[in-house]
Amino acid sequence: MRVVIAEDAAMMREGLTRLLTDRGHQVCAAVADGEALLEAVAAHRPDAAVVDIRMPPTHTDEGLRAALELKNRYPQTGVLVFSQYIETRYSSQLLRRGASGVGYLLKDRVADVAEFTDALARVAAGGTALDPEVVSQLLTASHRAPGMATLTPREREVLALMAEGRSNAGIAAALVLSTGAVEKHVASIFGKLSLPPSESDNRRVLAVLRYLGS
Amino acid sequence: MSATSTTRAGVTPVAVMRAVLTAPVSLRSRRELLFCASEMPFAFPLPLVVFFVTILLAHLLDPRPNPSGGQVLVAVAGSVLTVVLLPATGAARGLAAICRRLAASLLGELVPAPASPAGRGLSGRIAARLRDRPSWRAAGYLALKFPVSLLAWYAVSFWLMGVMALSYPFWWLSFRNHPPGVHLNTVPVFTPFGWGGRGTFEVATFPGTFAAFAAGAAMLLAAPWVTRVVAAADRWLIQGLLGPGTLRERLRDLEQTRALAVDDSAALLRQVERNLHDGAQIRLATLAMHLGMAREKIAAAGDPAGGPAVDLAAALELVDAAHRGAKHALTELRELARGIHPPVLDNGLAGALATLAAGSAIPATLTADIPRRPTPAIESIAFFCAAELLANAVKHSDASNIQITVTERARTLQLAVADDGAGGADPVGGGLSGLAQRIRTVDGRMDISSPAGGPTLIRVELPLRA
Repeated sequence: MRVVIAEDAAMMREGLTRLLTDRGHQVCAAVADGEALLEAVAAHRPDAAVVDIRMPPTHTDEGLRAALELKNRYPQTGVLVFSQYIETRYSSQLLRRGASGVGYLLKDRVADVAEFTDALARVAAGGTALDPEVVSQLLTASHRAPGMATLTPREREVLALMAEGRSNAGIAAALVLSTGAVEKHVASIFGKLSLPPSESDNRRVLAVLRYLGS
Repeated sequence: MSATSTTRAGVTPVAVMRAVLTAPVSLRSRRELLFCASEMPFAFPLPLVVFFVTILLAHLLDPRPNPSGGQVLVAVAGSVLTVVLLPATGAARGLAAICRRLAASLLGELVPAPASPAGRGLSGRIAARLRDRPSWRAAGYLALKFPVSLLAWYAVSFWLMGVMALSYPFWWLSFRNHPPGVHLNTVPVFTPFGWGGRGTFEVATFPGTFAAFAAGAAMLLAAPWVTRVVAAADRWLIQGLLGPGTLRERLRDLEQTRALAVDDSAALLRQVERNLHDGAQIRLATLAMHLGMAREKIAAAGDPAGGPAVDLAAALELVDAAHRGAKHALTELRELARGIHPPVLDNGLAGALATLAAGSAIPATLTADIPRRPTPAIESIAFFCAAELLANAVKHSDASNIQITVTERARTLQLAVADDGAGGADPVGGGLSGLAQRIRTVDGRMDISSPAGGPTLIRVELPLRA
């Protein structure tokens, strides 16, 4: 996987570079602001970009704006937005143009190297990676939605993992279930929430998120 | 009076005597004399000067025994215009500011400046100044200062005539050693009670000069009290007319300072958030990442199918990095917490300031005398003022010695930071104006004296309770 990193804290930038290189990925460029990110992506055309939200000069949301711009110019490039806070406003902005090749994770998630690189790989491959924190905020906000009360606890877990953007195989691995069991749960959830069944993971994520009111 | 007051501790006839005798040479008297001297120019009020200069110019252009009605009218119009221009141009406020500063540095009378009028553009500013009550009160003060300045001349004359009369016996013999038979005029002795023509009395002989000496000594003994009365009168005018004043103005002032307080605390919180975000938080995230990577390597090394000892070395290096990161994060958190509220402050301001002074890069001595503890908010503001002023002095003054003094006086906390450095501290510069704002939020005030070339003395007055 070829990756560009945009992160203003040098410590974190170096750590990420090392982590990805260690795992056999190629870090084409590691930059510190949004402008440089767009230039680096134009120059290297990577598979994915890891983008910090708060970067110079204003330290507000220039990373997010650069990420949206990136998605506009290069829809094929996966963009993983990376932040110390989770704002549902940011996630809905990110998902407005679809869930393909988009991710939004808390920086804390790098502690779990395998999960982090897995999420990045998913985004690079055109999938979705939403932080469990985003999903739990969405679940809290939509707990009164019709159908939610009828879900079993296990089905809620599966729903959350679907919303994070995981495939059936990923959900099965996370919950230590068989793929067949996951498929049954998914079918049951779609039935209870009366969502149209969809084959591709992306459309499934979008359907779930739309249901959760994102 | 002294007969009844002898019972009061400290007020003995000896003490009164000593006070009377040392008054002419005391620092306070010297400062009051300087203050009275500084009032003397106000004996020429601008509107009057404009009036007479106009008449004089008219006379030069058109010589005649008496000015015509038209000329007088023009001169009167000129002085009325001056009266309006004084507040309109901001000159009244400017002169008032000079008087406040003189009163602060010479009399120790700290009167806060009233809030400035706000107006956009030249005409807007002029209109705002003409509506601005403190500007008009400043103009009124300048008018009332006219009689006070005449009194100041009189007070200063006590000193000058006293010194003059005192000198008679010393030069008499060198100038009056005339041969017998030569008739010499008598020499007049001037006192404030007769200073026209031939003075109050005249001296003809050397023994007579002792009368002049005695009169001089009497004048000099009285002089400090006369200047003190004049200075007190001016002080009273300054307190009444040059401060923030009426309830409405007080309200406006409170509104401004409340806005400052709210902004200040919001900015402080934002700063704390920023420091956490860019400091400890990012360190901890990186630390977690290093540990995560190390864990993978150790797991892989433990796996019989995985890599050999090379990965363990890499894992150890990652754990090392994480360990260092944890220690850095702890340091940063500790410093951040101390920046929010220094724990040492819990044991009192004096102790906290002693710690501060001990850690200064330029030798700093602390004199602290705080019998009653101020409220925590005041202690905190005083501490941060001292810390900021000390840091400023260390950074900019090039001083070799810094004095920090903190005392309680008249239910206020007085903090002074003085250095013997290069001076030139900028009162509107970011640091000092920020401090001034924070001080104003609790009705305190800051007085900056830092001429180019030094020394710098910055005094902060805070109420004991906020």
